[in-house]
Amino acid sequence: MKALLIDDERLARNELRRLLAVAGDIEIVGEATNASQAREQLAALKPDLIFLDVQMPGENGLEFLEALEAPVPHVIFTTAYDEFAVKAFEFNALDYLLKPVDPARLAAALEKLRERGPAADRSVEPPQERLSPDDKVFVREGERCWFVQVKSIRLLESEGNYTRVHFDDAQPQLFRSLNAMESRLDPKTFFRANRRQMINLQWIEKIEPWFSGGLLVELKGGAKVELSRRQAQDFRERMSL
Amino acid sequence: MTLSTPPFSSDAADQERWKRAQDRLYVACQCVGWGIFLGVQSLFVTVFAEHSDVERGWFLNLCGLLRVVTLGLLLTHYSRRFIGRWGWKNLGWLALVPRMALLSLGLSVVWSGVGFAFHYLVEGGPISKDYSVGLMFLVSTINGTIVFLSWYFAYFIYHLFDRFNRSEIERLRLANVVKEAELRALKSQVNPHFIFNSLNSVRALIDEDPARSRQAVTQLANLLRYSLQSGQRETVSFEDELAVVNDYLALEQVRHEERLRLRLDVAPETLNLPVPTMVLQTLVENAIKYGISARPEGGEITISARIEDEALCIIVTNPGQLSFAATTDRSHRSTRLGLRNAEARLQLLFGDRARVSLRQFAPDVVAADIVVPLRSADIARIVPPVAPPRRPVSV
Repeated sequence: MKALLIDDERLARNELRRLLAVAGDIEIVGEATNASQAREQLAALKPDLIFLDVQMPGENGLEFLEALEAPVPHVIFTTAYDEFAVKAFEFNALDYLLKPVDPARLAAALEKLRERGPAADRSVEPPQERLSPDDKVFVREGERCWFVQVKSIRLLESEGNYTRVHFDDAQPQLFRSLNAMESRLDPKTFFRANRRQMINLQWIEKIEPWFSGGLLVELKGGAKVELSRRQAQDFRERMSL
Repeated sequence: MTLSTPPFSSDAADQERWKRAQDRLYVACQCVGWGIFLGVQSLFVTVFAEHSDVERGWFLNLCGLLRVVTLGLLLTHYSRRFIGRWGWKNLGWLALVPRMALLSLGLSVVWSGVGFAFHYLVEGGPISKDYSVGLMFLVSTINGTIVFLSWYFAYFIYHLFDRFNRSEIERLRLANVVKEAELRALKSQVNPHFIFNSLNSVRALIDEDPARSRQAVTQLANLLRYSLQSGQRETVSFEDELAVVNDYLALEQVRHEERLRLRLDVAPETLNLPVPTMVLQTLVENAIKYGISARPEGGEITISARIEDEALCIIVTNPGQLSFAATTDRSHRSTRLGLRNAEARLQLLFGDRARVSLRQFAPDVVAADIVVPLRSADIARIVPPVAPPRRPVSV
């Protein structure tokens, strides 16, 4: 697995390097000291795994992930003592290591990754702007954060400059417009139902005719979305194909 | 916990409300008290009317009584002003009782005197056929004294309870302040984030530079010991505080390497002066947090100390912008709170002239100032008094 280390302290990176030397299958392809460097490295090196320090000068680790345009690789957070971040990680069972890192904890985290299998192999994929259904995006709201698989998103709703993302039991707000999200999502899976809403076609439960030639789509999980006549026409064409 | 009892509330409206409630209570007590007095007197006059020597109508009797009651009411009412002026409300019982007795007697003489004078001069009649005027006057004065004494007892018992209540509230409030201070002292200890990051760096140093790592362990131990003991001592010499801050900065330099640059400019005569424990440490930690940790390029921290206007002036600067006003960020709020606490602690120990404040020192430099007024003993030690002119010794 190719790994990228992101930490502002040289000694902390060295220490992690030393600890990772024991695990045979981790190849450290690069190091970054801040968020902007990390973005460059991520694009250039395409690592499978990043070790990400939560506290960094400028953008911190969570802000870096939030702003990430590219799909998120496997992430293991590292933090010295950050009550709030640790609470968020525990809540969502994200992987995190407390510094100084316990070698046994690190080994367990790596083992968990190996069981989960490698992240989507990026080297053979054609470079694409769109997120595939298996890609993950990082979403944060207040003290909670999630890695959301694109295919688990049922519905996206526009709220001004924000977009509310519905998945599992949560519906956090993203600081991106719905139009921006539309340009990143696969049009084969996501359909713009109306000005305010975008639905995942995989999650449709029931379709009913609605007044004046429109459609009412019910999603698994209960949300109902109205399609105008024009939108319904598009939708019918798409579904009949 | 907040206690919002009016006398201690800073809110002027609450103080006003408390005062009004007190006034209402006073008016009610006056009315009820003198009402009862009037009732009892009327009863006496009616019941013992047949024994009364003077045959007057009930109307005239009532008028007489009303006159007596009104005069008593006025006398007690206006005597309050003197009680306030003489500061009797703050006296103990032992001092108060003889004063109360004297005042009651004096007022009673006036009360009876005016009553008798009115009777003789306006109504023009003797009071009793059987007894002498002197005896009647004596009885009346003794009765009056008892009435006034009761009045003052009630009055001062109220004030005693009021004072007790207030001191109780004050005591609770102080206990609360102490508890908060203890809590703050706990919180002002070294930031755990820093401790664990340092431990991490030290572990990395063990292979890379064993000598430096040993030194770092010592410095971390010094800092932790100092921080743990800071709760027991209120002040330390500036030299001790500075030594620990140096250890702290050395550890931060291990972490931040070339991103952290330091400049110290400390006047030697400041070293023996007392400062509150951890006060410089707190400000330097803030300086690192905003000036170094938050900036990818790092920067320079300076610490300078000198004596100015009979006060120890310590200035800590770090690169950055003072943009506190607009932000509601949790960590910024806690920083402002930390500064306020530091100032409160400083003022508690060194008086109102002590100060902790932040300012934009230069376009990209923020300065934190600590002003610790010198105690007179320190002034004498540092600024020796001007030697008196040498007088020729006469042989």
